[in-house]
This record gives sequence, C-alpha cells and structure tokens, in this order.
Amino acid sequence: MMTKRPIKMLPIWIAISSVIILAGIILFALLGFNTSADRNDGKTFEVEYDVEVEIAENGIKMLQDACEAAFKTNGISYFTQQDAKTETVGGKLIYTFSANTSDTALGQAKAAVESFAKETFADKDATEENEDIPHVYVGYHVSYNKSFTESAWRGAVAVAVGAVVALVYVAIRFGIGSALTGLTLCVHDVLFALGILAITRIPVLGFVPVIVGAVAAFSSLLMWLIQCMKMRESFKNQPETVSAEEAIELSSKTAQKTIYFAAAGIAIALAIFTVALAIGSGSIGAILFPLVCIIPVGVSVYSSLLFGPALHVPVKTAFDKFKSKHKRRFGRAKAEKKQEEKA
Amino acid sequence: MGKKRSAILITLLTLVIVALCFISTVSFSYGPNGMYQFNSLLRTTTKDADVGGAYGASGYKGGGYSVTYYPEGVITAKDYQDSLELKTGDARDEYADSYVPYLGGTLYLDKEDVCGGGDEPTEEFKQSFENTLKILEARYAHLRVDGTELSVTDDYTVRVFLPEMMDAKGVAFTVNAYTGEFHVRYGSSADSADEILPALRKKTINDYFDKAYTRTGADGTVYIALQFTAEGRDVLAEETQNANTMYFMVGDNQVIPLTISEAVDSKTLYISGSYTAETASIYANVINTVMKADDPADTLKLTVSDTLVYKALYGGNTLTALYIAFGVCFVAMMVFFFVRYRRLGFVHLYTYLIFTLIMIVCVYAIPFLYLSVETFIAFLFLSLLLSVCNAVTFEYARKEYALGKTMASSVKEGYKKCFWHIFDLHIVIAVLSFIMFGIGLTNLHMVAFILGLGTVFSGLACLGLNRLTWAAMMSFTTNKGGFCNFQREVVDDDD
Repeated sequence: MMTKRPIKMLPIWIAISSVIILAGIILFALLGFNTSADRNDGKTFEVEYDVEVEIAENGIKMLQDACEAAFKTNGISYFTQQDAKTETVGGKLIYTFSANTSDTALGQAKAAVESFAKETFADKDATEENEDIPHVYVGYHVSYNKSFTESAWRGAVAVAVGAVVALVYVAIRFGIGSALTGLTLCVHDVLFALGILAITRIPVLGFVPVIVGAVAAFSSLLMWLIQCMKMRESFKNQPETVSAEEAIELSSKTAQKTIYFAAAGIAIALAIFTVALAIGSGSIGAILFPLVCIIPVGVSVYSSLLFGPALHVPVKTAFDKFKSKHKRRFGRAKAEKKQEEKA
Repeated sequence: MGKKRSAILITLLTLVIVALCFISTVSFSYGPNGMYQFNSLLRTTTKDADVGGAYGASGYKGGGYSVTYYPEGVITAKDYQDSLELKTGDARDEYADSYVPYLGGTLYLDKEDVCGGGDEPTEEFKQSFENTLKILEARYAHLRVDGTELSVTDDYTVRVFLPEMMDAKGVAFTVNAYTGEFHVRYGSSADSADEILPALRKKTINDYFDKAYTRTGADGTVYIALQFTAEGRDVLAEETQNANTMYFMVGDNQVIPLTISEAVDSKTLYISGSYTAETASIYANVINTVMKADDPADTLKLTVSDTLVYKALYGGNTLTALYIAFGVCFVAMMVFFFVRYRRLGFVHLYTYLIFTLIMIVCVYAIPFLYLSVETFIAFLFLSLLLSVCNAVTFEYARKEYALGKTMASSVKEGYKKCFWHIFDLHIVIAVLSFIMFGIGLTNLHMVAFILGLGTVFSGLACLGLNRLTWAAMMSFTTNKGGFCNFQREVVDDDD
C-alpha cells in the first residue's frame, strides 16, 4: 500500500489549519472564550452567616452540607466554592454557577437552605415580641466579569514582538527562509491553539488565553529551532543534487526523535500537574489550566513535524533558486555561467 | 582537576545545597511551647490570589479581598430587611413603599431616586451607572495587579477583588469609590473652603489642570505631581496669596490636602506625604480618570460594603499538590538520568538542585515575583530545558568517547560540538522572555521574567556548573567510562 509522504501534503495541512483557525475565530467572535472558571462570572449563590453560625459546633460545615444537599436535590452543580470571611465576625459561603443555571433551581435551593438555617440556628430564647433575628441570609446573583483589555492586547503585542525579534536571530543564524517559515508557524500555532480553546469551550480563567498564546509562541519557536539545527547539520552532509524536498524530509526525520522527546517531556509533566491539581484542588480553573497548556505543545509538534517541513519546501526552493542566481562565481564556474547566459 | 580540589569543590557544593534546601523548604516551631516559628522561603514567598498557604502563627499568604460598590439608592435585600425590622407602624409602611424590589428581591432600588416613581430604573440612572462603571473599570485596570477582578453584579452593583499581595488594597477600595468632578478648593477646612478651580463658569477643569502623576525622589520619597496649564498656574498664583490649605477634591471627597505658606506659582506641584509608590499611583489615577471621563458630573455616589477576605481560589491543598507534582517530575527525571548515565546522574542532580534552589531564592527575594500555577509551569519548562541540554552534552560526549578518545578529550569535544545548539536555544528563549517581560502586564510580565532569568541560569548551569561538577566528580574514579555508562565502539578485528 502506498502511503503519502507528509512533506507532500501541504494543501491538506493548510486545509486542516484553516478550518480550525476560521472556526476558532468565528466562535471567538460570537461567544468569546469560556471564562466561566473565573471567580465572579456567571451566577453566584451566596449564604451570609453571622457569629451565631460561626460559634455553633460545626455550624459552617452544616451550612455547607445543607447547600450541597440543596444543589444535589435541584440538580445543579457549581464551579467554585469559597468561604469568605468579613474582617470582624461572620462570613459568606459563595458558590459560582454557570450563567445558564436555572433561576428556579437556585430559588428552590435558596428556600431549602433558608429553611434548614431557620431550624438549625433558631434562637431558643426568642419570644413572639422579640422575634428571632435570622442568622443566615441566602441570595443568588448574576455577575459578569469586565475583562481588562489592556493586559490582553499588551500580552498579544509582547508575544508578537518577542517572536519577531527571536526570529531575527533565527534569520541571522539559519537564514531568512528558516525565519520566514518560523514566523508563519509561530502565528499559525498561536491562532491554532487559541482556535482549539475557543472551539472546545474549555472553562478557563480570564487570563489563560494570553498564557496559552504565549506557550504556543514559545513552543513553536523551540520546535522550529530544533528543526533548523537539524537541517543545518543535515544539509551540510548532503550533496547539492538533492532536492529541497528530499533534504528537508531527511533532516525532519532526524529531528523527529528530539521533538517527540521534548514534547512528551512537557506533556507528561503537565499531565502530572493536572492530576495533582485534580486531587489537591478540585477547582475546575486550576485543574484545566495545565491541561490547556498541553494544547499549544501538541499544536507545535504538529506544525514542526508536518506543517512546517511541508511549508519550508517551497520557501527553501525559492531561496535556493535565488541563491544560485545571485551566487558569485569564479574561474571555470564563471565562464560556464557566461556561456549559459549566451546560449 | 586534582583530587584535593575536587573534594573541596564537591564538599562546598554539597554544603551550599544542604543549607539552601533547609532554608527553602523546612519550617518548624521552636522555643518554649513552640512559641516561635521558623518559616521556610517557600512559605514566606508571596503567593497570588489562586494559590495560598498559612505561615507563622496566624499569617496567610495568597487569596485576597473583595468589596461591593452600591450606587446611591441601591441597597441589598439584607439591608432592606434589617432596616424594615427596626421600623414599626406608618414608618415601616413608608419605608417599604420607598423601595422597589429588583431581580426578585436581590436588590432594592429607591423608588424616587433610582426609578423616578416607577418600578424600573430610569434611563438617567442607567446612564449615570454606565459612566460610574467606566471610571471604576479604568481605575482598577490601571492598578495592573495580577488577580484584580471587577464584575457587575445584579446589573447595578460592582464587585471588585484585589489579591492579598497588593499592599494598598484598603486605599484602592476607598479612594477608587470617589466619583464626581475634579476641583480645587482653598481655605481653612475642606467643607468651608472656596472653589478656586475651575475659576470661571464658562471653563472646565481641563482648561486649568493637565494631569497627575507620581515621581520617586533619590531618597525614596514618593511624590504626587499635579501638573497645571499656564492658565491654571496664573489662577493659583493669584488665589493662593495667604498661608492656608489647598484641597484637591473629587466630588465631595478630599483626595489630597496641601498646606501652603506662600503663593503657589508653579506649573507642577510635587506633593509628598506618607505615600508609597502604590498609594500615590492610586491617588493620581483617581484624579486622572475623572479628568478623562466624558461626563464626570453625571456619576453616582458609591457606598463601599464590608470587606470580605478570601482564601486561595484553588483551595488550601493546591500548593501541596503542586509540590508533589514537582516531586514526581523530579524523581522521573532523576530515574532517567541514573538509568542512562549511572553515576553521571549525580552531576545532573547537583546542577539541577543548585539551579532550582537559586530560582527559589530569586522568586522569594525579587519583589514582583510570586508563586502561582503559572510560576510552576514556567519552572517546569525551565527544568526541561536544563535537563535536555545536560542530556545533549552527555550524549555528545558519549559519541566522542565511543570513537576511542579519552574522557577529558570527549567531554571537551562534546561541549565544543553542542555549544552553539545550547547557546541558540537559550538565547532565543531569553530574548523572547525578556521582551515579553518588558511589554506584557501582570502574570505574563512575571512569568516572562522568571523564564528569562531561569534561561540565563540554565545556560550558565549547563555550560559552566555542569562541566565543572563533571570534572570534579570524575576525578575520584579510575573507570571513567563506567562512571558515565559510556562504552567504546566495538570494532571487528579482521585479523
């Protein structure tokens, strides 16, 4: 069975990348990233308690259990849970739900918790004239975070400027062609990774997309740098008759091991962090943060092993042609060229 | 390297590692009844709002503080209920009639001030709230502190969160609530003082005042600089002839008082006080945001709620989980090195431990660095960089040794051959990191600096320390190939 060589599949790689990037852009424009793991984004269910609850034996724990039971009964589940204290006495249990959680379910949960609190923390000395003061207030609120756009756009500018300067260094060390391919891959990887984040709707904290973009740029540059190093080593040992396609394919094969090794190292370490956070934290934002960082690493493996070499073939061919056209020739070579031109 | 020198070097390195390990990671109580506590560097290192941990007797690093701003005429259900409980008879009915429940009673809105006598907020109120919100957003965005959050809750209240690592949280919560126009008064008390700027009705404060900014003197004194226009300077020179006090006000709130003994005839006033760089920046920004606002007069007065203290968002066990994850990665890395390179693994162990401990000391000592999940991920990346580079140097030396060269020559040649690979890798990461550090804000700024600094250390560790330790450790063995698990290439003997 004939298998098609990845280096010859540039149109397929372009199609795959275009689909993901375009779908990501459209989804981002329509829905943005899913930042529901943020502290105050969505709906919050807040249980405010006073000193009576605080000093009661297991008072706060009982209240937490009552909330959990009420949520379970009403079929709703929260993203984050916080026990915030006031600076004097008392505090608030704050549960964050997604924005589309039903108000009816939250209302029923509120009624259940209120009824539990009234029974559990009732003042035994209260009389009809001196009515019992409620020790627990329950409410639910709708919140939406206002993101500070300056951090996001400056982050994007920082990644872009940093990548361009790093690629200027690549151009000096490995040639303009390698830098151009590297720049294309860097932009591609950032957009591709953010596209996947937008498409998969993974709930993340507000700052995570900037970090994912930065990781994609780093990872892309590193993987391409490994390819460049291998290409330089490999091209030295190849005869001039070898075509750009064959030369790149050969060097890409030698770089494979190093790229897989580096990517696997990062991915395994991030996976270990994800598992540890899943056990130790329980917060969806914490668990998914290292996990989403695996996306750009995976993307850079794809681009450096499949998309990058295939894209570099026409770039290298064009640059080789340019080089041979403008090559300075001496002696016999010069005479041969003149003859060629005359002919 | 001679055996004596090697022994001294290894002993010194071991002592440094043990001492740094101890102060970085071990916390304990001492004194009668464990009265005193020694906190490790990791415990006392600043933590962001997401991760946190206890230190000392009652200290907590991480988490943060939150307040809610209520515009005038908007109260919580609890405040409404509490006030209602205190009233009886007609007063109770009157009070109940003066408020309208909003969003099913989550908030109560003043029927006259907010709803104009109806049941829904008026368009004027909505516009004023929008103007107020824009000013608050600009003020909190300007803080540029990682973890700062601002959210609109129940349409008409604003909840803000600031991380514990920010020192001037209280000032920010209070001063950022000041709304209204910027103006300058002059007199003996803020309430009775005459307004001197803007001087004419036809003109606005923008005709007299340019901007506020901060400056730090050579002695460390922080100043708030108020820059006036030429017209503003003339008015001030004319109006401030006697010794008295100038009050720089935002709405009804006094932002900066300045006692003067002679006429102010300067375009820029440098005002010092008990300001820190953070608080001075907050005060200056409060003035600038109302100066830049479209309609600062059409804003709402804000009431600040009680402060809520939050512990780390990711929970109390997150740091422990991160340390365990780091430990697992460390063990996996060392298993690889010891299996593949036998005792040469010790060389990597020493290099890696010194690198890690220096990074811990840096994160502890450099004021704008702190522990967060991002810090751990950046460090993970750096660990991989150092490990890969060390493995690359070992592999190059292995190839040279296999060709039949001596160990010293193999190491020298190996380093020579891989130097540019390692240099290129480090220089590209360092350039990218330091540029991102220069341009990026908040956590990207911090993570980029850690990556940049770590890359420099990784380069030095791999090309310098690793080679030195290798030479020192190998001087004790006669079977150098066995020490490194390197083997000669087997050549078939045709004879």
